Amino acid sequence: MPSEAVRATVTLVIDGREVTAPRGTTVYQAARAAGVDIPIFCYHDRMPPLGACRMCLVEVEKMPKLQTACTLEAADGMVVSTTSPAVAAAQASILELLLSNHPLDCPICDKGGECPLQDQAFRYGEGRSRFVETKRDYAKPISLGPVLVLDRERCILCWRCVRFGEIIAGDDALKGFERGFASAIGTPFGLPVESKFIGNAIAICPVGALTSRTYRFRARPWDIEPVASSCAHCGLGCAVWLDVRGGEILRTRAREDPGINDVWLCDLGFFGHAYVAARDRLTTPLVRREGRLQRASWEDALGVVAERLRASLARGPGRVAFLGGRRLSNADAAAAAWFFRAVARTPHLDHRVDASPDGASLRVGWGLRSSLEDLARGDVFVLVGCDLTEEYPVLWLRIKAAIDRGARLVIVHSKRLEIRAHARCEIICRHDQLAQLTAELAAAVAQHGGAGCGASRIDLAANIMATGSRVHLLLGRFALDGPGGCDLLRSAQALSQRAGVTLHIARGRGNDIGAARLGLLPGEGGMHAPGILRGAAADGFDLLYVAGSDPATTVDDRAAWDAARMGVGFLVVHEAFLSATAQAADVVLPALVAPEKDGTITNLEGRTLPLRAVVAGPGRARADQEIFELLAARLGVVRGHVAAAPVGSVVPTPVETAHAAGAAQEPAAAGGAAPPLVLAVSEHLFTRGSMTGRCPGLAELVGTAHCLIHPSDAARADVAHLDLVELATEHAALVVQARVSEDVPPGQVLLPRGHDTAPAGALVRWSPAPVGVQIRPIAPSGGAEP
Amino acid sequence: MTQAARDEIRRLIGLYEHRQSALLPALFVAQQEEGCLSPAALGLVAETLDLPVTEVTSVASFYGLFFLEPAGRHVVHVCTNLSCMLNGCQRVLGRMQEVLGIRPGETTPDGRFSLRTAECLGACDEAPSVLIDEDRWAAVKPEDVEPMLDRYG
Amino acid sequence: MTIEAAVPESVLLRWARAEGMAQIEQYRRAGGYDAARRAATEMTADQVIEIVAASGLRGKGGAGFPTAQKWKFIPRAGPVKYVVVNGDEGEPGTFKDRTLIEGCPHLLVEGTLIAAVTIGARRAYIYLRREYHRARRLLEAAIAQARQAGFVGERIFGSEHTVEIVVHTGAGAYIAGEETALLESLEGRRAMPRQRPPFPAQAGLYQRPTLVQNVETLCHLPVIISLGPDRYKALGPPALFSVSGAVNRPGVYEAPLGISLRSLIFGHAGGMPPGRRFKAAFPGGISSVFLTEADLDVKMDHDSLRQAGTMLGSAAVIVVDDSLDMVEVMARAVEFYRDESCGKCTPCREGTAWIAQVLERILCGRGRVEDLALIESIAAGMTGTCFCPLGESVPPGLVASLRLFRGEYERRIAQGEARAV
Repeated sequence: MPSEAVRATVTLVIDGREVTAPRGTTVYQAARAAGVDIPIFCYHDRMPPLGACRMCLVEVEKMPKLQTACTLEAADGMVVSTTSPAVAAAQASILELLLSNHPLDCPICDKGGECPLQDQAFRYGEGRSRFVETKRDYAKPISLGPVLVLDRERCILCWRCVRFGEIIAGDDALKGFERGFASAIGTPFGLPVESKFIGNAIAICPVGALTSRTYRFRARPWDIEPVASSCAHCGLGCAVWLDVRGGEILRTRAREDPGINDVWLCDLGFFGHAYVAARDRLTTPLVRREGRLQRASWEDALGVVAERLRASLARGPGRVAFLGGRRLSNADAAAAAWFFRAVARTPHLDHRVDASPDGASLRVGWGLRSSLEDLARGDVFVLVGCDLTEEYPVLWLRIKAAIDRGARLVIVHSKRLEIRAHARCEIICRHDQLAQLTAELAAAVAQHGGAGCGASRIDLAANIMATGSRVHLLLGRFALDGPGGCDLLRSAQALSQRAGVTLHIARGRGNDIGAARLGLLPGEGGMHAPGILRGAAADGFDLLYVAGSDPATTVDDRAAWDAARMGVGFLVVHEAFLSATAQAADVVLPALVAPEKDGTITNLEGRTLPLRAVVAGPGRARADQEIFELLAARLGVVRGHVAAAPVGSVVPTPVETAHAAGAAQEPAAAGGAAPPLVLAVSEHLFTRGSMTGRCPGLAELVGTAHCLIHPSDAARADVAHLDLVELATEHAALVVQARVSEDVPPGQVLLPRGHDTAPAGALVRWSPAPVGVQIRPIAPSGGAEP
Repeated sequence: MTQAARDEIRRLIGLYEHRQSALLPALFVAQQEEGCLSPAALGLVAETLDLPVTEVTSVASFYGLFFLEPAGRHVVHVCTNLSCMLNGCQRVLGRMQEVLGIRPGETTPDGRFSLRTAECLGACDEAPSVLIDEDRWAAVKPEDVEPMLDRYG
Repeated sequence: MTIEAAVPESVLLRWARAEGMAQIEQYRRAGGYDAARRAATEMTADQVIEIVAASGLRGKGGAGFPTAQKWKFIPRAGPVKYVVVNGDEGEPGTFKDRTLIEGCPHLLVEGTLIAAVTIGARRAYIYLRREYHRARRLLEAAIAQARQAGFVGERIFGSEHTVEIVVHTGAGAYIAGEETALLESLEGRRAMPRQRPPFPAQAGLYQRPTLVQNVETLCHLPVIISLGPDRYKALGPPALFSVSGAVNRPGVYEAPLGISLRSLIFGHAGGMPPGRRFKAAFPGGISSVFLTEADLDVKMDHDSLRQAGTMLGSAAVIVVDDSLDMVEVMARAVEFYRDESCGKCTPCREGTAWIAQVLERILCGRGRVEDLALIESIAAGMTGTCFCPLGESVPPGLVASLRLFRGEYERRIAQGEARAV
């Protein structure tokens, strides 16, 4: 008996079998662990039980009523039946009720074949309905935005999708409306759903009520072959299933990986595969002749490139430069590094194409400094210039879960983030003030270490940081590459000297981390990416080579790219599409994309993850690795055997990698007073890049090109909400829609990056000082919503 | 929404330890102000309480006394539950429909009245019971309907 | 037929029916706020709970749970606790809480104060249904007067106790009367019932220990403390009955618990109007199973009514006469539940809608003989499977009507078939 109070398990009887389960588990979980199947609809094992659908009713001895197994805690001595006549009758009743207003349009329903309602009706239902009344009638399926379709007639109101938004994503995307029999899930007034995670709601819908616009009516589950791979978009490397039929990826689903994405994905992952099958994939090499890019054979194209390289090498080493790496696999990146270092004999190679020369990105190793699992165990998270849901959405899900367990969140940014409701402290300031604020934060933490804090936001944030024992400080691109980024990094490094504080550089997309590790960084005496561009502009290179990158759209300073292109004699590009960079090239070599290659990538935490070739590439496109090896062979160099990197283990990027980051001289200090209206460029998850722009749902999610401006600045400039405005810097001007919002501080215009009609890079020049901008209305909106 | 309405919502927030508790009262303030809870009104309530507009709209749609569609200047509720049914509420409701020329759930074209049936108004001792705006009318007879409605401009 | 004499001494209605009781001066002259003063300044929590236990007071909202026992579930320690007053009087046929507040709002304020100082709550929310505009205005005024007098707010009656009282209104949802749904609603959400455990006493409003108590229940507290538990019990104990429907004098009547249904209807409420015949009566609101003429002498208390297959509920008697047939009555009741179901659980949401459709069909003359078995079967499927009591209220009355008034259903079906031919 003395041990009774502390016993960690309970023993009960389920369907005549003795079952032992950890104390605190529910009868449903205990049964499931023992292999006893209890039907469910509303229960989902990543959310607390709700007890709403009543499908999991069981009979428990000594309890007067049937009990929901999902909510009932297993207790010693319980005797449970999941199959008694009362249970069977209740299950049949619940199913009959659920089906009474369900359309039974299974033959044309996407869920058919993988539908819990269908399966359970088969197993527990009566097989006939006595329902002769008129069924609940809703207008045909409604579109809730570019990716989501809702068929309310099929909905069995299990509330899973609603609770996913409330509990897991924290974005309250879908909700229940009306009540009782009139209840329906959806969005207010049927407006497009606002979420970065809605694919998950589709995935956990137990019927065909929520479907994806891209997958609707496309396939049947028994026709498709799921292949395990990794998502190569944002850099977290979420585990995915790619569902393939007839050489085409029909959909992406989350593959459970407790270390990274658990069972979730973001919508970039869910809907970001259609580009692979785009009709305008490059299928043959292109060579510029008579001023035009013209189709050529590999033989021909490789010959032209080899000739150029040979000529340059004859003039001496270091006259060739390489940019790119983000979209390469590890094998490609290793081949590129080998090729440029050993064959092309140049130290000028860098994957950090989107880094600014004066920012901190070039002075620190990118990536997380702990595994995601360790990070998720943190008790304080501080995001400085890091817009999680726009940059690494699934990382937000991990941090959200930590917050639900009591962790605290501090946000320092130049706009109010959509996750702000979950923050304990939010500090909003102009982009050019971020560094100063971070310095003040560091000073406040150092000064009072959490005791005797004042009432300011800085003091509150300092107090939260100082009282955390596992503090994770994340710096994003917005902070690192903004004005004063180097000072900001120094303040953050000072903060991370405190025990328990881990500094993460939330920087890098795709396979940037793998590219860095495999050597796509400047060698001895080599230039970093901005240096290469400047060098090219100054006629310093015979040949510029780009692979796994689209610098024409990703370089922060569009003019710097244009100058480089003008200055360099010859441009070679590996591309899947005729991107802006490819259009400017002398030779374009058609490349395979991630789902066409077997190999690995390395994610932000330093974990090597598998890539699987699930479809064949178009035409004569080739893997980058193969292209480099063919080119090397042309130059008379044959590459020896290269061992593949092991998959799975995490090797975090060491803190002190600044030396490896290449020749990064101290940047010029920003001087003078800040202009009255500062332009800040922010990150966006959904962009119209060469890949995402070719994924139907995603391309629409980008929405209208717009900027955010504070009401006081808008009033001064005579700009009304949703007006078309011209944004002008001293370099260029472009037209976007103005959104007047208190989400941004006064004195700043925020322009999201990644819109093809509003290329932020065209407005700015690399400069350590904040960029001034003028805003001028050109056409009133007439009040129309975008 | 007027400044006074916003101030009233801020005062309501102070009555509770969690700001979302002020949602129902705040929705009544907005509804009083705007006549109904239009998308814009719901957006303003969401902004003032710093709650997701999805949540605000979802909550508003649950309760019978929030109008998400335009409603009349005066809202007439005729109780149709059992005690009133046993005391002739159907005749009162019928007369109401005749006089107003609308059916339950509708609003007169001049925007003066909305007519609704109500579940038990908690005034069964006064059956049939009618609630017009905040006034409870007791033991209403069909012939009372017209003079009663005349009092509401 | 014996009709008991009216209660010689009314103790609750005396307050609600007296003139001027909305004014604090009048209320105090009659001895008002003495009980709360004693509870705050002279008595320990244990003493109050002991007196309430001895009085035998049980919750008047419907479930009839012993009040003192509920108080004992509230943890003694813990810095934040709440009293939440359930004034969402929505059970059809019930209007006693409204009568009490409109007659004597101070009685509720005082009862709330007693509960709050006893369990150590510094804040009480009174959740009133929105339709009770007059009650709300009177109650808010009463609270303001009491605050002025130093009875609400900090250091009430000069004691160490701080009690704030806030009046909160609902927005038209019967389900908000269910105590966990009421807490959801008070937190500004959709009024959908919560899973229990945890019970509100452990994790209620804002997940803090919360005492949820019906208006009338709290109004008994000043009386119990003033009279002492023995005298209080000797009076019946007293209870309020709302009587309505087909009676001459509908109204709230105070009578000893255990009075016969017959006395209430034919004594207090003056019997049936001329020319109308008694058919059935709901003893505890529409959620209780109705009783018929054979049951008229049943005692109106928790145990007797349970034995009779029904319940005291909110003690709301609705008298049905022969102007309606039971199909109409049941169709109206089921429609009510369909419209007021929150929609959370399957059997209540779908079952009420389905049964309402079938009953509607029978009323329209399109009933089928097999519909009666179908209704019984759907009702059986809802029995014991719903999330909360709302859905569970539907089957018993419906099944009883099919047993006791089957002829009325069959007549409707036969008439319909005859017309169809």
